[in-house]
Amino acid sequence: MRRAVFTYLALGVAAVLILAPYLMSVQTSLKTPGQFAQRPPLAPPRPPTGANYAELLVGGHSLIPPLVITVQVVLVVVIGQLTSSVLAAYAFARLDFPGRDAIFRVYLATLMVPAVAVLVPRFVLLGAAGLADTFWGIVLPSMFGSPYAIFLLRQFFRALPRELLDAARLDGAGHLRVLRHVVLPLSRPILATLLIITVVTHWNDFLWPLVVTSGVRWQVLTVAVAALQSQYNGDWTLVMAATTLATLPLLVLFVIFQKHLVRSITVTGMR
Amino acid sequence: MPTTEPPRRDTLAGYLLLAPSLVGVGGFLLLPVVAVLGISLARWDLVSPARWTGLDNYRAILTDPAFGRSLAVTAGFVLLVLPLQTALGLLVALLLDRRLPGSTWFRAILVLPWISAPLALGVVWRWLLDPADGAVDQLLGHRIEWLTSPVLALPAVAAVTVWTNVGYVALFFLAGLAGVPPQYSEAARIDGAGPWQGFRRVTLPLLRPTTFFVLVTGVISSFQVFDTVYAMTRGGPAGRTEVVAYAIYREAFVDYRMGRAAAMSVVLFLLLTAVTIAQRSYFRGRTTYEVG
Repeated sequence: MRRAVFTYLALGVAAVLILAPYLMSVQTSLKTPGQFAQRPPLAPPRPPTGANYAELLVGGHSLIPPLVITVQVVLVVVIGQLTSSVLAAYAFARLDFPGRDAIFRVYLATLMVPAVAVLVPRFVLLGAAGLADTFWGIVLPSMFGSPYAIFLLRQFFRALPRELLDAARLDGAGHLRVLRHVVLPLSRPILATLLIITVVTHWNDFLWPLVVTSGVRWQVLTVAVAALQSQYNGDWTLVMAATTLATLPLLVLFVIFQKHLVRSITVTGMR
Repeated sequence: MPTTEPPRRDTLAGYLLLAPSLVGVGGFLLLPVVAVLGISLARWDLVSPARWTGLDNYRAILTDPAFGRSLAVTAGFVLLVLPLQTALGLLVALLLDRRLPGSTWFRAILVLPWISAPLALGVVWRWLLDPADGAVDQLLGHRIEWLTSPVLALPAVAAVTVWTNVGYVALFFLAGLAGVPPQYSEAARIDGAGPWQGFRRVTLPLLRPTTFFVLVTGVISSFQVFDTVYAMTRGGPAGRTEVVAYAIYREAFVDYRMGRAAAMSVVLFLLLTAVTIAQRSYFRGRTTYEVG
């Protein structure tokens, strides 16, 4: 009994420590700058105001354009990355062609390349192609498949029952048909996992969009929030409304897909 | 019988299916690795033509106290974050593993920071730690200059990173604990081992693969921390939180010294590779126990 009490107490403290910053930023976002200046930071908003949110939705500092761009970026990256990864993983797992194992080893080796280390050359290469500060500049590096996704999918495809695929092939189905009608329906769990992880990673991505875009035209949400914070340093009520808006969509998704997401993280260990 | 058929060769199909990912891996991973080596051997501000300077950039950064400091800052950051987030993650996982009613709720709450943008969380914490307007100093009833103090800034950024990662790390330990057969700890208890001994002698060794995974991914990500630093301190005060990733960003995109930034990238790459290999051989050298 004492053990249970202690467990709940410890977990409760941890939960409060995690939730408090979220709740405090929401509370601050509901204050006017005047209320914020006159009363202590922890005082509740009296009365709560939606002015900061109105400003960020329909006012002069609208976060709607960055939101639209972020959604587009995530869509293109997710569709491109999953399609390319599935095709490559199927080839590695199920086809026999010269150079297959050597290429796969090269893909695995690229897992060792830290993203920060290729920041400068990627920017230089895309800039040389005239793609700096464009939509395609943001999405191109991640839309052609990720070695890690390919690796995970390959493992999964190899574990599928061989007879099933061979039977379909003998019935005259081409590789793409087998992939679409046999392999993909069997791979829903791993695909859902990769989908979730890719959405979270690219919704939250900051460094690459920060570097490759320069004006407000192609600002994604994270970059827009950072810009707002440096422009209105000290106007915390507006900035807290912005961070709340930027994190809210994924929190809502999380509440809906909680179980699946928790499992996805442990399956892939991707960040 | 399909299995008795001679293996088909699918060269064309294979390469067609690989084509998109070959563009991705070749164009955005392998080519950049080659390019970063080339750029690191030149002096270049993106505007005037690049000038070949051999190993000058390496000589310059390796003798530059600022780069040495940023390596030290990064090492300090990793050494603060890694043990704390691993130990706390394990502790939280052990608590969650008791599977009391409501555990899934706690688990969900603890993972929240992982799905939030580190940049946004960094901005929130910048406010919370603000000495004049922030909530933390009001709670403490004491004015502390968290982010402008040369001593406290790095630990503050590290603490926020730990806060972000604990739930995520706990998930992995939780998955690892699910693979520990209850008979093992049962047997230890029957043999007279206390809870601590059972944990140390039975659970912890069985968690070794998980611990390895958590440490490797932890090193790789904390070595590259950027968003949190950008949001909270921009590398300040006086470079005390300027981690390598931030130094590379500043050299390249604030000071436009692409060659130096590229040389720093190469050094970061080599360091991370060395650390990963060292970790791997350390864990390989110790007994691993087959589970199941």
